[in-house]
Amino acid sequence: MICENCKQRPAKVTVTQVHNGEHFERHYCENCANSLHPFYVEYKQDPLSLHQLLSNWFNHAEQQPVHPKQDRPKLVCDECGWSIQRFLDEGKFGCASCYNSFRKQLPNVLKRLHNGNVTHIGKAPGALGEKLELKKRIEAIRSQMKEAIETERFEEAAKLRDEARELESRIASGGDETHVN
Amino acid sequence: MSIERFLDNSPSSWMAGSGDHSDIVMSTRIRLARNLNGYRFPLAFTEDEAHKIDQSVSATLLDADEEIQMNFSSIQIKDLSELSRQVLVEKHLISPKLANSPMTGSVLLSDDESVSVMVNEEDHIRIQCLFPGLQIQEAYAQADTIDRLLDKELPYAFDEQFGYLTSCPTNTGTGLRASVMMHLPALTMTKQMNRIVTIISRLGMVVRGIYGEGSEALGNVYQVSNQTTLGKTEEDILSDLQSITEQIIQKEKEARSALLSHSANTLEDRLYRSLGTLSYARIITTEEAARCLSDVRLGIDIGLIKDVDVTILNECMVFMQPGFLQKYAETTLNASERDTFRAKLLRERLQMGENPKTKGEELA
Ligand SMILES: [Zn+2]
Ligand SMILES: [Zn+2]
Repeated sequence: MICENCKQRPAKVTVTQVHNGEHFERHYCENCANSLHPFYVEYKQDPLSLHQLLSNWFNHAEQQPVHPKQDRPKLVCDECGWSIQRFLDEGKFGCASCYNSFRKQLPNVLKRLHNGNVTHIGKAPGALGEKLELKKRIEAIRSQMKEAIETERFEEAAKLRDEARELESRIASGGDETHVN
Repeated sequence: MSIERFLDNSPSSWMAGSGDHSDIVMSTRIRLARNLNGYRFPLAFTEDEAHKIDQSVSATLLDADEEIQMNFSSIQIKDLSELSRQVLVEKHLISPKLANSPMTGSVLLSDDESVSVMVNEEDHIRIQCLFPGLQIQEAYAQADTIDRLLDKELPYAFDEQFGYLTSCPTNTGTGLRASVMMHLPALTMTKQMNRIVTIISRLGMVVRGIYGEGSEALGNVYQVSNQTTLGKTEEDILSDLQSITEQIIQKEKEARSALLSHSANTLEDRLYRSLGTLSYARIITTEEAARCLSDVRLGIDIGLIKDVDVTILNECMVFMQPGFLQKYAETTLNASERDTFRAKLLRERLQMGENPKTKGEELA
């Protein structure tokens, strides 16, 4: 049997359609079945396990000889004793200090997992978080101020300017205590 | 409050069938992963560390309940029987990982079960908020409140470059996983899910069938969640999920009306057959029950089936699981006995919907 659609390739896929209670069988080649009924073809994708992904990256990176003999012994976390190899095998960290111990290697791993991203830009805890939030609020006020100036609402703009200054002075006063590990 | 209260088959607040778009979005879940400085992660820590973490996290949250106007109950996992643990897992209040952990760990549950804080799961702290319907912002606001409260008292592990430090690198950064559980029968029937899964995975999100073992999602229920936790703000992660969810809702609605206009009779026949099966079957497997529940729920949503409670899918998907069935039967059941009990439970649940007067007695 040849494909009903292109009438060229052999028919390999049977598609059953139900129309007004009647069943119709259509015979297509894989090619046409795919384009006419794309959902009938199972989308088969074995997701790469985290472990596979990490090992693949590691083997790949290994091929570029960047002083492997000097670097490798250092790659052990002093806090929990895990080596980078153990991290790659388990796909998990032993402790928070691992991040610091493997800091140079991590961007390569994180990039793969997070759509190319390697740097956190979200919320932060404690004093650091408060500082970041203040900064965000100042930015928002500044853009409101610009808008006010553009539309010649100068009184409002002056108010917003004072508000931004007040927040800035708050950041400055707490400036040195914002270090968070 | 007694632990038993969380183990009986009274519905959790997230099963309520309320909230935005609750005809398609069953529930919204927000999870934040946090760890404390000075202790190794659960994969590497000692029992002594586990104990100290558990004590300080539990004490902080239990002390603060007035401040956030929420009452928490602390449950030690080690104190629970195997069956009780399974029931909490089936209710999505703890994870299988915590249930099976050999170390000290606990879960802090709010009275309405909308917040559960797991201590010593894969991370020291996992804040989880479960809301009915589509309520991404609301659920996040709740999680954020708990997070800020713990942050005031406890030293979080954080790095300026990497953000919140988590046990698994897939959570590094915000530690935020936002997900919505969606009932997508029409997209499944019209074979559009594979295409949607492909598109969504390109956008840094994941779609998974829930409960199902194989490729098919049990009961046409899917979970959509963010994959990327690093390099995006919390606001962006949430609004991306919101907009993708809204687009899927739109597609599901289109597929529903297409089904109705092209094959109303076939559809109606199928949905009523499923209602018949649930109402009269004496033996029913998980798979068949899920398929029928999905059909009946679709029938309710498109206005075809009346007099049946809309929470039927949300609640029955939970209560028909092995742990709950055994709790309900008050004895251990083998697989075929479970199929019989499942049929009984579903029959009773359906009668409840038809005749609300008997509600109290049926499952008492
Ligand atoms: Zn062809
Ligand atoms: Zn370490």
